[in-house]
Amino acid sequence: MRNYSLIFINGRKHVVKGRDAFLTLSEFLRKTLKLAGTKIVCSEGDCGSCSVLCGKNSGENNGQEEPIRYQAIDSCIRFVFQLDCCHIITVEGLAEEPDGKKLTKEPCADQLSNLQKSMVDCHGSQCGFCTPGFVVAMTAVLEQNPDPSIEDWRHELTGNLCRCTGYAPIIDAAMQASTLPSPSLNQRYPVTKMAEAVRLVQEDTIQIQAQDFENVMQTVACPRTIEEAVEFLAEHPDAKIVAGGTDVGVQFNKGSQQPQFWLDLNRVESLTKLSVTDQAIQAGACTTWTDLENTVETVAPEFHKIISVFGSPQVRHVGTIGGNIINASPIADSLPLYFVCDAELELTSKSGTRVVNINDFYLGYKQLDLHPGELLTGVNIPLPGHDTDLRLYKVSRRRDMDISTFTAAICIERSGDTIAEARIAYGAVGPVVLRLKQTETFLQGRTFDLETMQAAGEIAVKEITPISDVRGGQDFRLQLAKNVLVKFYHEMMTEGAIA
Amino acid sequence: MNKLFALRKDGTAIDPREKGSVGRTIPHDSAIGHVAGCAPFIDDLPRREDELFVGFVGSPIASGTIEAIHIEAAEKVDGVVCVLTAKDVGEHNQFGPIICDEPFLADSEVIYVGQPIVLIAAETSDALKRALKLVEIETVAAKPVLTIKEAVEQESHIGPRRQIRRGDPDQAIANATHQLSGQFEIGGQEQFYLESQVAASYPAEQGQLVVHSSTQNTTEIQAVVAEVLGISMHQVVCVCKRMGGAFGGKETQAVIPALMVALVTQVTGRAARIAYDKDTDMCVTGKRHAYLCKWSVGFDSDGIISGLKCNYFSDGGATADLSTSIMERTLLHTDNAYYIENFEASGQVCRTNKPPNTAFRGFGGPQGVAATENIIERIAEHLKIDAFNVRVQNLYGIADRNVTPYGQYFSSNHLPEILNTLASTSDYENRVAQIRTRNQEDPLFLRGISMTPVKFGISFTSKFLNQANALVNVYTDGTVQVSTGGTEMGQGLNTKIRQIVADEFGIDYTNVIVMPTSTEKNNNTSPTAASAGTDLNGAAAANACAKIKKRMADFAATLFASAEEGLIPSPQHIVFENGCVRDSRQPTETIAFADLANRARLERIDIGSRGFYKTPGVDFNRDTGRGNPFLYFTQGAAVAEVKIDRFTGDLAVTRVDLLMDIGKSINPGVDMGQITGGFIQGMGWVTAECLVYDERGALLSHSPTTYKIPAITDVPPDFRCEMFPNNDNLHTIRRSKAVGEPPLLLGVAAWAAVKNALSYLPRTTDPQLCLPATGEEILRCISQQTAGVSST
Repeated sequence: MRNYSLIFINGRKHVVKGRDAFLTLSEFLRKTLKLAGTKIVCSEGDCGSCSVLCGKNSGENNGQEEPIRYQAIDSCIRFVFQLDCCHIITVEGLAEEPDGKKLTKEPCADQLSNLQKSMVDCHGSQCGFCTPGFVVAMTAVLEQNPDPSIEDWRHELTGNLCRCTGYAPIIDAAMQASTLPSPSLNQRYPVTKMAEAVRLVQEDTIQIQAQDFENVMQTVACPRTIEEAVEFLAEHPDAKIVAGGTDVGVQFNKGSQQPQFWLDLNRVESLTKLSVTDQAIQAGACTTWTDLENTVETVAPEFHKIISVFGSPQVRHVGTIGGNIINASPIADSLPLYFVCDAELELTSKSGTRVVNINDFYLGYKQLDLHPGELLTGVNIPLPGHDTDLRLYKVSRRRDMDISTFTAAICIERSGDTIAEARIAYGAVGPVVLRLKQTETFLQGRTFDLETMQAAGEIAVKEITPISDVRGGQDFRLQLAKNVLVKFYHEMMTEGAIA
Repeated sequence: MNKLFALRKDGTAIDPREKGSVGRTIPHDSAIGHVAGCAPFIDDLPRREDELFVGFVGSPIASGTIEAIHIEAAEKVDGVVCVLTAKDVGEHNQFGPIICDEPFLADSEVIYVGQPIVLIAAETSDALKRALKLVEIETVAAKPVLTIKEAVEQESHIGPRRQIRRGDPDQAIANATHQLSGQFEIGGQEQFYLESQVAASYPAEQGQLVVHSSTQNTTEIQAVVAEVLGISMHQVVCVCKRMGGAFGGKETQAVIPALMVALVTQVTGRAARIAYDKDTDMCVTGKRHAYLCKWSVGFDSDGIISGLKCNYFSDGGATADLSTSIMERTLLHTDNAYYIENFEASGQVCRTNKPPNTAFRGFGGPQGVAATENIIERIAEHLKIDAFNVRVQNLYGIADRNVTPYGQYFSSNHLPEILNTLASTSDYENRVAQIRTRNQEDPLFLRGISMTPVKFGISFTSKFLNQANALVNVYTDGTVQVSTGGTEMGQGLNTKIRQIVADEFGIDYTNVIVMPTSTEKNNNTSPTAASAGTDLNGAAAANACAKIKKRMADFAATLFASAEEGLIPSPQHIVFENGCVRDSRQPTETIAFADLANRARLERIDIGSRGFYKTPGVDFNRDTGRGNPFLYFTQGAAVAEVKIDRFTGDLAVTRVDLLMDIGKSINPGVDMGQITGGFIQGMGWVTAECLVYDERGALLSHSPTTYKIPAITDVPPDFRCEMFPNNDNLHTIRRSKAVGEPPLLLGVAAWAAVKNALSYLPRTTDPQLCLPATGEEILRCISQQTAGVSST
């Protein structure tokens, strides 16, 4: 049993115990380590100013040390205890000749990375407050893709807000950096020494305790297996479960989450298994959105489209498929698809595993058919056949990095001009994501034409109970509920015309 | 290409062929620090050993009275050093830049949700967090005024109604061939500087204290801290090294956090720091004013406007702040780029129970321009002609039709050329035709396009603010430190001043460093605002350099004088360039600038100086609404094309072409960053950013989760920005022009393009598109407009 997290920061090993392990990474960097280059703006993963590079050191695999795969994450919504055996590179660790020490003085231009130099040359910084986050996120992009296009850059930087530049100079800098060599982070921070330290401790079970700011004792368990996880959950059924932490972290920062017991799933490798075929997506509950984004494009292009506007890269790198389900928000981007596909959820407890259809899982607002001690361990999404028309819709105030105002999945099987079967699910129109049974029944057997779809819209609005909130008014949502059916029709017709 | 030349520390090449640095794209002076994460902001500074964490508890209600404040439990928390309320503030608990009406800590009455009431200072952030939760405030709520409409009904006003009028607009409208009128609602906007409000203070000797503030206005902080603390101005030093963005939001509103730490330092004798979190910042600080504009216009069948009336009401929030001055700029920009013979713009600031609204890039100008551009689009729709024709026909003339409604002659008018050039480079006419066709064919998307111009007046409309001073110190190794009252918020002011000063002395810009802004070095400064930062502070710095150069030239002249060659000492022949000083009559002999500086000191010649500048010729009488408020106008135009999802209202700005006249740019890289950044910020205001309040007057959209500024994917995929080169701005330093605010107003083009798109739909009623044109607002208009019209 280990009572600390082992993490590496800019190449240097840190043993983190007690209260520090319960801090967000950004607090730990800024307050404990005095690395103030990482900035905090929103404390909710929406602005990217706190971005750092994070890579898991796997110790070794078949005697080979694997290179670390670095990704940008939001350090303000990542707890230190989630980072065991990870290497964190902050903005201070990007200038040349990293020696694991805090950068004590301003580097010269020739010590900067080519990406940093490009940001200087192209006036990619104005006030400079978002700049460290951008530099980190951009470094991560180059690490994965040595020659990104403008579209790649735009897609990969949706998690970083800048209020000064209008982004154009940042895009210029990015494109300039694309043409220049960028040495890999694995060269600059050799994995060997870190792997040695990791091998010694990576099999340990971890449990860390500390008093919180109100002197209440907190305990976190970071198990390695599902068995250990459900064991802890059986003892502490009210434990807060953390996987990606992209929502829990926000609630913690905003003061609405002070659990005594935490169960962290980041070390449970069996929860990240992913199998994608033409027939189905079978994902462990801790499969990240990034892993899904990278694998589902051909088998489920509509799902891929929604994933690509799900949060930001920083959120997708850590956020999990299971988290979006258990979080039980009626505005969760991913849910409508599962509803029309009759996705199955695998729930595991000490006493075994049961499977629940997602259509039966949500009992009310944030109320789940989840027994005490049960853990969501897997999701099985049967995919519709090629002859089925499926469209997923997300309407939000902003296209990227935004929470839905309205979501929908429309799935129609046609035989000739006749609708053989319709499955429709809407989100953000009531306390839970909803299947529109009356609308589905209405559509079945009718001719697929504009009139039918307009009439279906009139039925749809009677099945839903949207409210007005900060993301949109009731009238807007009702109008959308009608309109997406008509939009679906026109999309099918337009596509037909092109084909 | 850099390899030919030696490199500077900032990585740029030293090319001896280049004369001077003004006009060149050199890096922002903090760029390396920014990208390496080692340019410290206030909350990044190491803590002093005795430094206290400061936080506050604000009002739970928007309007009412405080019945009791319970602080006993908070005081008992281990680590809490003091808990302060209005009782602990001296007799001066009020401040305000124009009208002294804003309380520092609420005493008996509360006027907006979150208004600071209780201040806590603690040894640790944990203790502070615990204590803040234990404060209880009992209030009795009154009915708040939350909207402009309510304020208008209740005549809840701040300041007098102001007006600018020319001719007889009522008669002109009545006599016109066509009349239109309507109401236009314009939303507010959060500045969303990334660095939230922050201040730190520590005590010094003789009752002094030093305040580090993220402020655009060090003098204001100094003065208000002295006033509220009951000490003298010479006992307060305010320092600002840099801000993580400001955009007007730190022109006045940095005062409260600065007062908080200053009071804690005064009470405890210890260092103190407060850093708002983003939610708090957004909830309790003021924003761009929401406006309501009631308008009427008369025009002929070509769209030429004969009479215009715009009557504005702005949401000033709970106290005056800068609202009356902001309304003034709205009235001064209602003409935008158009000559309108019979004109009336009038405005009243309304008092509501929201945080005092304040400066935000454009300072009321954007609302005036948006109101007018809305009217132009309406005229075009009404006459079924393209809005570009309406705009061109109404533009200010060059030889005639060139006097503004407030009586200022509009000289150096480049607008006709800018609009025509942009129409051609953006292929405007063809794209209008393409859009017309596509809108008939595409069942899914609706497209629109619009070009809007801007003519933005440069200078503070309050005359006394148009001044600046600078301190320039030359050292004996030939390097220079410059200090001005201008503050760096990312806009590149320090970089431009560095270039100006380097060129004055003919030395490399890396030999010049611009120092942190401090009231210790520059007294009685104006806020860095009104886009005039470089105009004022750059000119003051150049003035200081000129004084030093005069002394150095007099001295150098004696060194170059040669009895043998018959050359008498002649200071007017002394030239400073390429790091050397020479006599132009003897081009081969030079003295290094550093040598001359050193020798000057040995000869007891002063090589440091203060400089001063005041903008000549500006004056405006706000009572009569007439005068010459502006030194000149920055001009430009934008074409925006939009694509709208007919079924969701989802908006994409697909292409934007900008053309800006910014005179002779001192640093094209810096200025282009202002243009792209300003435009996108303006585009955010007109298309996306939505302030949502609940029925109690609390802001619901108080973080980036719910308040959506443009993201990188909102930047138009085709975004073309050009400068309009010219050399005729003789009024300012190095013939440059102010660039901070004007590009923001070009964002209005994106809104006008939405309006244009909607004009392609059949209609039974005019849905009166509001600003911002969010997806929700656009869908409202589409639905309302097409209700009853058979769908295609």
